[in-house]
This record gives sequence, C-alpha cells and structure tokens, in this order.
Amino acid sequence: MLSKEALAQRLIHACQSVMAAQDELTDIDSQFGDADHGITMTKIANAIQEAVRQNDGSIQSMLDDAAMAVMVLNGGSAVPLWNTWLDGLQEHSVAANEMTVSQVKRMFAGACDALAALSKAKVGDKTMMDALIPATQAISAWEGDMDGLFLAAAEAAQQGAENSRNFVSRFGRARSYGQATIGTPDAGAVSMKYFFVGLAKK
Amino acid sequence: MKMKKFINDPNTLTDELLEGLALAHADLVEVQGHLVISRGLEQADRVTIVTFGGSGHEPAQAGFVGEGMLDIQCVGDVFAAPNPQLVFDAVKMADKGHGVLLLVLNHAGDMLCGNMVMKMVAKAGLHVRKVVTQEDISNAPRSHSDDRRGLAGAIPLYHIAAAAAREGKTLDEVADIAQKYADSMATIAVAARCATHPATGTEFGDLGDVDMEIGMGQHGEGGGGRQPMKSAKETVEIMANALVKDIPLTKGDQVFVMINGSGATTLMEMLILYKDCVRYLESLGIQVVANMVGEILTVQEQAGFQLNIAKWDDETLRRWNTPAHTPAFFKE
Repeated sequence: MLSKEALAQRLIHACQSVMAAQDELTDIDSQFGDADHGITMTKIANAIQEAVRQNDGSIQSMLDDAAMAVMVLNGGSAVPLWNTWLDGLQEHSVAANEMTVSQVKRMFAGACDALAALSKAKVGDKTMMDALIPATQAISAWEGDMDGLFLAAAEAAQQGAENSRNFVSRFGRARSYGQATIGTPDAGAVSMKYFFVGLAKK
Repeated sequence: MKMKKFINDPNTLTDELLEGLALAHADLVEVQGHLVISRGLEQADRVTIVTFGGSGHEPAQAGFVGEGMLDIQCVGDVFAAPNPQLVFDAVKMADKGHGVLLLVLNHAGDMLCGNMVMKMVAKAGLHVRKVVTQEDISNAPRSHSDDRRGLAGAIPLYHIAAAAAREGKTLDEVADIAQKYADSMATIAVAARCATHPATGTEFGDLGDVDMEIGMGQHGEGGGGRQPMKSAKETVEIMANALVKDIPLTKGDQVFVMINGSGATTLMEMLILYKDCVRYLESLGIQVVANMVGEILTVQEQAGFQLNIAKWDDETLRRWNTPAHTPAFFKE
C-alpha cells in the first residue's frame, strides 16, 4: 500500500531532486533551447511541493491541488505539459488516503496517456516523453512491492533520458537544429528523470 | 562575455517592464497583473482581439495593445508562453458579446497553451476563433506550414483584423480575413550576433566574428543558413528572393514590406536594407505599397533582422490606412 503521507513525501523528494538540478537543466537548454528550462522546472517543482505540503485532503485532492498550482504559472510549454500530466495523475488516482500497487499502476498509465494525447510525442522524438514513457511502462510491467515499483520507474527514466542523447529533436525550439542535437540529452527528459529519481526516495 | 544589462532582479523582469509600460502609456493601456488591456475595450461593441506570448520581445506584443490593434495581450515570462488560465481569463474579459479572435504564434509553448484555451472556452460556451500565424520559411516548405514558426508578420495582421472588427464584421468574417492575411505572407530572419537570456545571462549560441545565420528564429534558435557576413544589398536580396518564391509573387503584385530590427541593429542599417529591398522588388515589377521599418519584435540584443513580405490587395491597404493608437504603433 501507498499512504497519502508516503506519496506526499515521495513527491516532495521528486520536487527537490528537480530543483537541485536547476543549473544542469539550464545548461542543457541553452544549447538548443532558450536557457530557461532550469528556472521553469524550479518554479513548477516548487509549486507542486507547496501544494502537496498544504493539502489536507485525499490523495486525489492533493494531486488536484498540485495540478492547479502548476496551471497558473507562467513557464512556456512545460507548464501545460506538466499540468496535463499531474491532472492525469489526479484523474486516475483515488479519493482515499491509500492506494494499492494496481491503483498506482493505473494512475501512472492514465496520466501518461493524457499527456501523450496533448504532446503527440513518442519515444525517440527527444522530449520529456523519452523518460516518461519508459518509466510508465516499467510501472505497468512491475510485479512486486511499492518500493520496487518506484525504483524500477526511476531506473527506466534514467535510461530513457540517457537514450535521448542519441535522438534528433522533433519538437519545440530545438527542432530547428536537427542532427546537431545528437549527443545532447533532451532537457525535458532529464527533468522528468530527476522527478522519478526523487519519487524513488521514501 | 558577461551580460551587461540595466536590470534590477532577474525574477521580476516582466513585472517591472509592464509597470513601466503602464506608466509610460497610461492613456492607451491599463496593466492588470500580466494582462495588458486597451483603454478602448470598455466601450468596444464589436469582435475583440486577444493574443498572448512571452516577454523579452519588446515592443511586441504588449506595445501593440490599443485602439485599432489588440484588445488584450497576455504576457508570459521571458520567451515563455503565459499559462492557459490567464489567457482564458483574458478571453472572458474581452468578450463583448460578438466573440473573440485569439491570435497564436506557432511556437511549441504557445500552441499547447492555445489548444488548452480552446478546450476551456468550448466548455465555458464562449465564441472564440483561433488563428495561428506560421510564416517562417526557413523551417519548412509551405506544404508543411504547421512546422513554420510564427515571426513578426503577426504584427501588421493585428491592425488589419482590428480594422475589420471595427467595420462591424462578424467573428467568422474577421477570423477569415486574419487567416487569409496569415496565408499571404512570409518571413525570413538573419542574425549576425546572438542575444543573451536576460534572466540567466546565458548566450544563445555564438556566430563568431565573421558569420551570419539566415533563418535564425526569434529566440536565437538556429536556422541552418550559417555563412560569412555579406553586404546589406546581397543579404536582403537573398532573403527577398526566397520570400518572393515562397509566397509566390509575380510582376504587378502589391506588397507590404517589414524590416524588423532584432534589437541591436541600427535604424541606419534598417533603412539601408529597406531601400535595397524596395529597389530589388521594383526590379521584379513588384510594388511596395506599405511598410514598417524599425524594432517591432526584438530578441533582446540580437543583431540582425526579420524581413516580412505580404501580398496585399486594395482592401487590405484600405484597412491598413485606418487609425491605430498603441504604444508602439500610431496612425491617424
């Protein structure tokens, strides 16, 4: 089982993991983007963390607060994308104080589908989906306890972000650079990786 | 090179510039948070026009709010689209019972935001038409215009669409006029020196001492046409020729020409470029009937310019010659 308190703690670790990587994200984004991904992700992570800390309702209400906190930020593409993913987590979670492994699996699968419908990107397009899709697949395939589920997701997200180095950018501002983007990981995949790495910490 | 900019705090750049805009142009616009609202909106009894986009491109887009152009501009942070909730609020505020034209520049963040706003307005039962400008010919061929970035060509469109709205046209008519305008223009950009992000100080690439890049986008993203610097005449002819082929233009056509300085290009250079562009088009039998020459949509201190050419008919020219009272575009 995953209690609300345990999920809240994991989410806070996830946000802190993303915020700690601000400079790295800025550096990656300055190569083929506009150098603001670090700032934007810090804003998003901070908003999620505050919403999670302040919520005193169910798991669903906590995730809803997190999605709404991101919705009102200014931050380019990352804001609607993260809002959509968090809203997907909320929609596929439960209005209760704990979740089973199968409920957690459903929640991540539903959220990934919601984001895929908005972003249209697949693995290999050099976007955040390069980390999110493998992480979600690892969760879906997981047979075991809750800790193992989050560790498997983090491992898959790390591998996915690493793989994004080899891809040619097909979305966003980096697309203009085509083949030149090979060798640099995608900033959005790297921030998603850090989120899952933090989620794996109890 | 270390960034040298007269700023106070990287976190409040947008708030501070909007406060300055409100102080400098209190007669034309009102600023509420990140919304820049035309003083004329309150009395408006017509289709209204809303757009949104990141800051850092001044005077675009907030400088074009006012009578005869935009009714509300929603401002994001530097180079970043605002959040969809803010744009939805703006659309609701702008609606005077005749519907709202939502103009979107084709950039990833703007498009995501625009799509989410359209879902929200549909749920709320608001009457909104979205028109996307996507005219950067360096990204993709005209057959794949969804891949073309939206550059400075959107700015004259604001005035043409607003003129149509002031004639009392319906939302569908105004949106069709805007769409037709969007389809009849093209833009290409060149950069000689890159800008820095004003919040982080990060440079957007390095063109060195000898090169320019044709096709560079308005956030300094590359376009692939890196080559040694050429003269004004040679550069503008390469670019105008590409636009003439793309639109396409033929002898006898009437056009609008914009030389949009990217931020560190002098007016001297812009005027030389404009002259060379007019002379080149004349040599092809193409007549320039209207223009904008100056800083319209900038990229901080990027040196370079965007060349926009639009094919105009008499009706467009007539609409162009109507008044506009905005901080950055004034016409009696």
